[in-house]
Amino acid sequence: MAWFAASGPIRVEGGIKARSQRGSIGSAWWSRRFIDILERVCDKGRLSRGRAYARKGQVLSIELAAGEVTAAVQGSRPDPYEVVVRIEAYGEERWAAIEEEIAAQAVYRARLLAGEMPEEIEELFAALGADLFPRDLDMHCSCPDWGFPCKHLSAVLYLLAESFDDDPFLVLAWRGRTKEQLLGSLAEERGADPLRVADVPFADRLADFYAPGATAHRPERRPVAVAPDLLLRVFPPPGELESALTPAYKGLADA
Amino acid sequence: MPGSAKEPLPSPETGRMAEVARPRLRLWRVPAVVPPADDALRVLAEHTGTATMRHWAAVAAFAHDLVRRGRVIPQLVLAPAPERDANRTGDEMAMWAAPEDDARAVWRPVLTGADAAYFRDLALAMPPACRTSSTERPSTEVQLEALEAFTDALVRRTLTEPLLTRPPRTLQERWLAALTGPPPTGVGGACPDVPELRRELERWYAAVAASEGATRVCFRLLEPAEGDDWRVELALQAADDPSLYVPAAQVWGGVTGLPGRPERELLTGLGRAVRLYPELDRALRVPEPSELVLDTAGAFGFLRQAAPLLQAAGFGVQLPRWAGRTRLGLKLTTRTRKQQSAAAGQGFGMRELVDFRVDLAVGDETISEAELAELARLKVPLVRVRGQWVELDDRQLKAALRAVEGGRAGAASAAEILRQVVQSDDEELPLLEIDADGVLGDLLSGQAERRLTPLATPPGLDATLRPYQERGLAWLSFLSGLGLGGVLADDMGLGKTITTLALLVHERTAAPGSHTPERAGAPAPAGEAAVPVPDDGVGPTLLVCPMSLIGNWQREAARFAPGLRVYVHHGSGRDAAGIAEADLVITTYGTAQRDLETLKQYQWRRVVCDEAQAIKNSGTLQAQAVRAIPTGTRLALTGTPVENHLAELWSIMEFANPGLLGPRSRFRTRFQEPIEARQDEQAATALKRATGPFILRRLKTDKSIISDLPEKLEVKEWCPLTTEQATLYQAVVDDMLAKIDSSEGIERRGLVLSAMAKLKQVCNHPAHLLKDGSRLAGRSGKLARLEQLSEEILAEGEKALLFTQYAEFGAMLQPYLAQRLDRPVLWLHGGLPKKTRDRLVDRFQQDPEPALFVLSLKAAGVGLNLTAANHVVHVDRWWNPAVEDQATDRAFRIGQRKNVQVRKLICAGTLEERVDQMIERKKALAERVVGTGEDWLTDLSTEELREVFRLTAEGVG
Repeated sequence: MAWFAASGPIRVEGGIKARSQRGSIGSAWWSRRFIDILERVCDKGRLSRGRAYARKGQVLSIELAAGEVTAAVQGSRPDPYEVVVRIEAYGEERWAAIEEEIAAQAVYRARLLAGEMPEEIEELFAALGADLFPRDLDMHCSCPDWGFPCKHLSAVLYLLAESFDDDPFLVLAWRGRTKEQLLGSLAEERGADPLRVADVPFADRLADFYAPGATAHRPERRPVAVAPDLLLRVFPPPGELESALTPAYKGLADA
Repeated sequence: MPGSAKEPLPSPETGRMAEVARPRLRLWRVPAVVPPADDALRVLAEHTGTATMRHWAAVAAFAHDLVRRGRVIPQLVLAPAPERDANRTGDEMAMWAAPEDDARAVWRPVLTGADAAYFRDLALAMPPACRTSSTERPSTEVQLEALEAFTDALVRRTLTEPLLTRPPRTLQERWLAALTGPPPTGVGGACPDVPELRRELERWYAAVAASEGATRVCFRLLEPAEGDDWRVELALQAADDPSLYVPAAQVWGGVTGLPGRPERELLTGLGRAVRLYPELDRALRVPEPSELVLDTAGAFGFLRQAAPLLQAAGFGVQLPRWAGRTRLGLKLTTRTRKQQSAAAGQGFGMRELVDFRVDLAVGDETISEAELAELARLKVPLVRVRGQWVELDDRQLKAALRAVEGGRAGAASAAEILRQVVQSDDEELPLLEIDADGVLGDLLSGQAERRLTPLATPPGLDATLRPYQERGLAWLSFLSGLGLGGVLADDMGLGKTITTLALLVHERTAAPGSHTPERAGAPAPAGEAAVPVPDDGVGPTLLVCPMSLIGNWQREAARFAPGLRVYVHHGSGRDAAGIAEADLVITTYGTAQRDLETLKQYQWRRVVCDEAQAIKNSGTLQAQAVRAIPTGTRLALTGTPVENHLAELWSIMEFANPGLLGPRSRFRTRFQEPIEARQDEQAATALKRATGPFILRRLKTDKSIISDLPEKLEVKEWCPLTTEQATLYQAVVDDMLAKIDSSEGIERRGLVLSAMAKLKQVCNHPAHLLKDGSRLAGRSGKLARLEQLSEEILAEGEKALLFTQYAEFGAMLQPYLAQRLDRPVLWLHGGLPKKTRDRLVDRFQQDPEPALFVLSLKAAGVGLNLTAANHVVHVDRWWNPAVEDQATDRAFRIGQRKNVQVRKLICAGTLEERVDQMIERKKALAERVVGTGEDWLTDLSTEELREVFRLTAEGVG
């Protein structure tokens, strides 16, 4: 088997890379649910090679549609391997029931909008006889590796988990409902630049070119008894940065 | 930039006047310094001499504030590649240069909600000169660039420890490493991972930036009508208009009038809030949540834990009025022992015994021991006592139980009670109410001024006191009768000087010897060293003031209290022998400090500090000196609102009543820090109780005052000359008189007018005569006084018009005052086109910020409507009352809602004072003779002119 190990994958420029460069990948509990399945069925060696692939950027593309994730992974052969991971996408009828339940309690929409998967949503699905998280993954890879799941599949799943961290709506989209479908008009992003002001043209300011403009209020700034790391606590940064940045934010109080 | 054909328009702050009447926009190549942000910050911290620098300093202060509050997020940005840079033209140059690198780690500011609104305010205020380039760059863009550079530099300056203890291996670690330390901040080399990390970080930034949109989520705690069904109402509030408050129920109804997308913002906000306040989850179990129901324990938890956390995270929190105020406390009742009259402390001394009793109180109600025990038994932190909700914690209950066990009742001296009340600093059991009778009641109420019988104008005072001045006189006399010091902090213009003079006259006319006031709390007499003073039973008053006010006191005393023997102890010729003969000794802070040993030898009836801000810093030698002079009582006069400057307040009180407020450090922890850092209402109330008896501050706007005031009050302010001014003045007089004497006719008239102009310029400022662009500070007594006045006016939040007849002096004043006072100073002169004048007037009228408006008398004497100002200062005089009045009427006309104060600055001992006297003597005549010009002066004979021009030494400081 020496020929196989020595050849290694073809290097990729601009592939998708795992943000986490050490340790485990996928930190949010809802992402771990996918990784757990993978790690249950996959042997350690392949897992670590899969992580290495994910970190090196061997995955060229990932697309997520209802029921199906397709990806292209650059291996040691010139043509990238095709990876498909399938789960059951629910039909219209079942989704209608789920949506009704989600709408019944504002906490689901609120937490999702705030970037978090509400824990009880799993029970909500279960009560309707559906699974939010798959028990098993239907995975295929076009590589000749006999082991299963192969490192290409693991690489894709690791990256998938990372994107779930950032946007829990993607989990629901995989099951067949996009953020737009779930939230309707609530999903729209925001508009105008809140910092923009209308400037007075220079031509109208010739006589007081060096003077302040219409309003020069000094802010009545009161000292706020505030923890400077609050922002970090309310808006966790991506990946594992929180612990690394916390001392920095705490130190800002001395500025 | 605007300019003439030759050169760009100079900034007026360079001291050069524009030579072109109608500048036009042209492209200029100008030299520029592009400092790294860190250097820029250092420069801005020290030099804010020009409006543009001040603007950047404000931006830097904003950056500092954002950093301190942690409103920053680290990012990975791509700097423009170097090859692109080569093609850049000058106009694309960043104002604050950053070293080039491929990808850099930077700290960016987070601008949401109120911060975004302030950013826009600042951008609107940006002087056009800040955004010049080959095009007019948008102010938002320029300002954001600067703010980002400052923010990054400030974070780096603050974070001295690296975030990574080992050598970085991955890109993320290199990025972390590059987040601290000085530039260059590149993460090193072209790395294929850069786009990914950058996207992640940008997404994070966007999530934070989007979190506070047009609205914010609000939580409002509503107390139960009965039972313990507390509710937290959920609502949305417009970020830029907090009065637009829409309960969630209405948001779901769809009609809100709120900007943005209210439903989404409400949901997202609640989703974030539930992380901080898990109990909120219960409220979100319905499709359209509108409230959270709580029991009393839950309400207490909301008050104590959730509310501060939510507030700090940027949510709106509204609590019932009583929240945060401890309502369980003590009530003190005192009763005098025998018949006493409350009038002016007659026959009552601070050593007299009074009976007292201390009860437990909730709000206005006293409660019994049994009731307290019942509360303790309930063991709930929020209880309703006779209809009022009270927050109780264990510490407080224990303290209360201890307090009743002691059974506090008995007798103590009035002085002791006073000290107890003033120094009561039990934070667990604050003193909530005082019920005292007699003189002590008058004093402790802090309302003595209203309770006392006003003292009518004493015979011997050459004026009629207004009703509020009569009350002030009664208050001063009451306090000093008790041997207590006071702080008279009335608004400027209410007549602190005349009230003080009235007190001195009153003491001398109120049957000397009939009663000797007790002097409890007064320091022991200076002992055997005391020099005898005139034996009229009163003793002299020592008045300490800034040098610029000596002439004023002297003249006011001579005018209103001619019977007082006044001695000015100041200048090189001063002689302590004058002190023994005087009723009023006037000296300066500097002289008091130098002659401390001499002054200490007298037994003073009273020491008065005028402009007591001068001793605001208790550690200074001046402050120590005035405190060291032994005296019966003390009085501090100040026009600035002392209650807003707590460190000053302590120092001034320490002068007036030494030791009464306790040591400085205790004051800081008990009052200053809670009030300044947390707006602690309880501490503020306690402080007011402690200082109220000793501070009298009446505002012009008080209903009871405003009816007593004339609509227009004209006063003269006498200013000293500096030695430099006096020397110059004398030189001009000698030179000009010689020329005038040897000329006649038209030539003579011209020379007289020119001499007068020159002398007036000297009085304004040496640099005004010399026109050499030299430094302004510290060289003119008049400018010093003007600065002082302006500071007081601005501190009261008001606006003033400053008239000068010299455009060149106005051009000097404007940048100088703007820099010294750090407030808008506008400048209107004949060289401005109509459009600009209109805009200046408009801004002055509309802008709520206190401001000064320097106006050229000729350009602004008529037509303008400037009723936003209620102060008018004539910096130099146009010796024609009609012209001055016309100018004054810019402020004093229809639309003016406040009383207008008019001040005329006059240099003492100079032609300004003498011409003023001539006008006063024959005002009626003058109005007829004088016409509209100053020509009438040219008809005076040389001898008369000599008399007018002559410099008398007393004016020189």
